[in-house]
Order: sequence, then structure tokens, then C-alpha cells
Amino acid sequence: MSDGVKTILFATGLCLVCSLLLTLAATGLKAFQRENALVDRQKNVLQAVGAVESGRSYPADAIKALYQSSIQCISIDDEGQVLSAKAAPQKVLPLYLYRPDETVAAYIVPVDSRGLWGRIYGYLALDTDGSTITGFSVYQHSETPGLGGEIENQWFQRNFVGKQITDEEGNFVSIKIAKGAVEDAVRQDLKPNYVDGISGATMTGKFLTQGLEDILQTYEPVSVHFRNQGMLKLPENALVCQPPS
Amino acid sequence: MSTALVKITRTETYRTVSDALWQNNPISKQVLGICSALAVTVQMNTAIVMALALTAVVACSNLIISMMRKSIPRNIRIIVEVAVIATLVIIADEVLKAFLYDISKQLSVFVGLIITNCIVMGRAETFAMSNPPFKSFVDGMANGIGYGSILVGVSFFRELLGSGKILGFPVVPQALYDMGYMDMGLMLLAPGAFIVIGLFVWLEHALLNR
Repeated sequence: MSDGVKTILFATGLCLVCSLLLTLAATGLKAFQRENALVDRQKNVLQAVGAVESGRSYPADAIKALYQSSIQCISIDDEGQVLSAKAAPQKVLPLYLYRPDETVAAYIVPVDSRGLWGRIYGYLALDTDGSTITGFSVYQHSETPGLGGEIENQWFQRNFVGKQITDEEGNFVSIKIAKGAVEDAVRQDLKPNYVDGISGATMTGKFLTQGLEDILQTYEPVSVHFRNQGMLKLPENALVCQPPS
Repeated sequence: MSTALVKITRTETYRTVSDALWQNNPISKQVLGICSALAVTVQMNTAIVMALALTAVVACSNLIISMMRKSIPRNIRIIVEVAVIATLVIIADEVLKAFLYDISKQLSVFVGLIITNCIVMGRAETFAMSNPPFKSFVDGMANGIGYGSILVGVSFFRELLGSGKILGFPVVPQALYDMGYMDMGLMLLAPGAFIVIGLFVWLEHALLNR
């Protein structure tokens, strides 16, 4: 057998063995990883409303129990009406309600935004006044670590707390990420609508600003309900939202 | 007792281990693998997990490559080494994602970047290709531990000075903060790691040249 043929055979054999091992590892561990990802998403929902601290680790059971007892996921249509279980399925949006007790304390919208390198997934929580942000969290992204990747850090996410998505007259303006610190970069009257940007991550900020605006626009009918009535009318048997894939 | 100790210090395994841990430490003597040493040493638990992952990868890759060393065609040996290392790294990453999800999220890309860590490739190419499996395995373990010892050492100082904690538990008493003590923000950033690693390198060279 010539050297060339031997080399090709060896390489083929090695590739087969390696890919077999990788397939085994990936499929064998999939169930565990799914479970972890689910708990992580639930943790991020809770983090957005400040029910758990970011950057601390909690046992998975504690997260699940807290999520189970205080978060309700419902479905709404694009006019902001809560769908009941009987309603014919049309364009359905998921909406999370934070109910530490009987009353709704905040509502949470899922964030799915474009980023610089891939999609950014997270949650944005709003107070029942329909305009004050109570928290923001990110559970998955592909931004550059140290630059755009800072969006998953506490200092950036804490920025959002207490900011407004409306102007002084109560009109929707969304929340924007400033270029640099809000203190220096933004006009006095617009400060409630801006959060500090990340230096070195202008593009991430730009895409996330756009993404947040689109999402808040989509959920604006719900926010209007909250702004006008301070609550959302819940039918007896609200349609449970589709679990995200 | 002392004769037994002398016997141990004369074995080849002992020399391999002590060489990798001290005289030829991959980080503080050869200055390899600095990238991850800067990035994952903010907290001790990420540093420990990273050290374990790298030790497992370098030991297994040394073992596997050493077992195949006689049949690997010379002209594709680097590709074969990379394929073996990459497979092991991906498996390590998947295992971390399944069982240590929080830490694997913090380590983010750096587990995947073990593939490009010069220590792993270096040991495979210079040691495993020309030594028998057991010896190569021990060499891999020793180098992993040598890398890990510096990582854990650096992260100990960075976590203690940067956030007043050890392994996540606060150790700096509140009274000290009340008196005006402040955590050193520099230690949380990459330059802090540069300074600490530099001091380690200095210390080791000074002790070795004595």
C-alpha cells in the first residue's frame, strides 16, 4: 500500500471515530443541557422582575418552584387582548405576568433582537403603570466577550431599572441605548428614555435598541391597557402560552 | 522514611511532574496559555473548572496521540493532533454545559479555545509523539496541574483583592469596609491579571536563580 493511500485511510478512520464520539456526547447529554437551558430561561424571567439576583447561583429546584408560584405565562393577540383557552388560535404572542400574590406586580415581554453576530434573547419587565422598566435580562447571545458581551453583565442590565418607555406626555418612545454614558451623551429631557451604552460595542447597542423598539411596539397595545387601567383584564381560563422551543 | 522519599524523587514520573510544576511551568516559565489565564481568573471557581478541563484534555490527548504515535503518517500528524484535541475539547464543553451550566456560561468561549492553547498542542507535538503512553499521560497531567496551579494562584489574589471573596464567600469583614477599605477594581480587569501573572513569573525566576 502506498503512503498516500495509507494517509487517506488513516485520516478517514480518525474522522469516523471522532465524529462518532461527538455524536454520542451531543445526543447523550442533550436532555441535561435542555433542562439547564430551561431553568436558565426561568431564572432570567425572575431576574428581570428582580425576584432573583443576577450573578448569584441558585439551586435548580428553587428557581423552578419560584417560577411556578409567581410567574404566569399567558397568550395575547396583537390588539393586546388576553386570549382565553376557547379562542381560536390566531396570531398569538406570549406574555409573562409576575404575580408574587394575587395581584399582577409586573409584566414581562420576551426579547428576541438582532445583535452584531447573532440573535440576542432575553426578557424586559415593565411595571403595571405601563411605562416604567423594572428590569432587563439576557440569557443567550453571540456578541464579542468583553465588548458587546457586556450586555449580560449586571452593570448594563441594572441601567434599565426605573427608565421609561414613554415621554412626559405618555407617548411611546421606546428605550434607547446611548453612545457612551447617558450623563454626557443625552439631552436632559430625554434622559429617562436612555441607558448607558457600552464603549467598543456601538453596533450591538444600535441593533439592540432597534430590537427593543420593535418588541415594545408589538406589545404596545398591552402597555396601553396597563397605562390606562393599571391592569389587564384576565379571563377565567386564560390560554397558556406556548412553551418556547 | 527518608530513603523512600529519595526513591520517589529519583523516579522518572516524579521528575516529569516536578519539571512541569516548577522548573518548566507552562505559564510562569514558558509563558504559554496566557490568554485564558488572563480571562478566567476573576473568580476561583471558574479558574478551578478551567484548570480541570484543560488537565483532562491535555492528559487524554497526550495518551491517545502517544498510543497512535507509531501509525500516524508524518505528513498529516499536526492535523491528526488537532482533530484529537478538538474532539476532546468539544466533549469537555458538552459535559460542562450538561453538569456545570452556570460556570460554563461564565467560561463562555474559553473552554472552546482550549483547542488553540499552546500547552496542549505543544505537549502533543514535543512529548507524546516520541514517548510511550503512560509517560505521556503523566506528562499531560503534570502540565495541566502546572497550568492550573498558576490559574488558581492568580485567581486567589484577584478574587480576594478584587471582590473581597474566596470561592464566592466574603472574607473581608464588613468592619473593614466601614472603615473605608475598598475593593481593588483593577483586579477585576485583564490588566490586573497581567500584573499578578508578572509577579508570579518574577517570583519563580527569582527562586530558581537563587
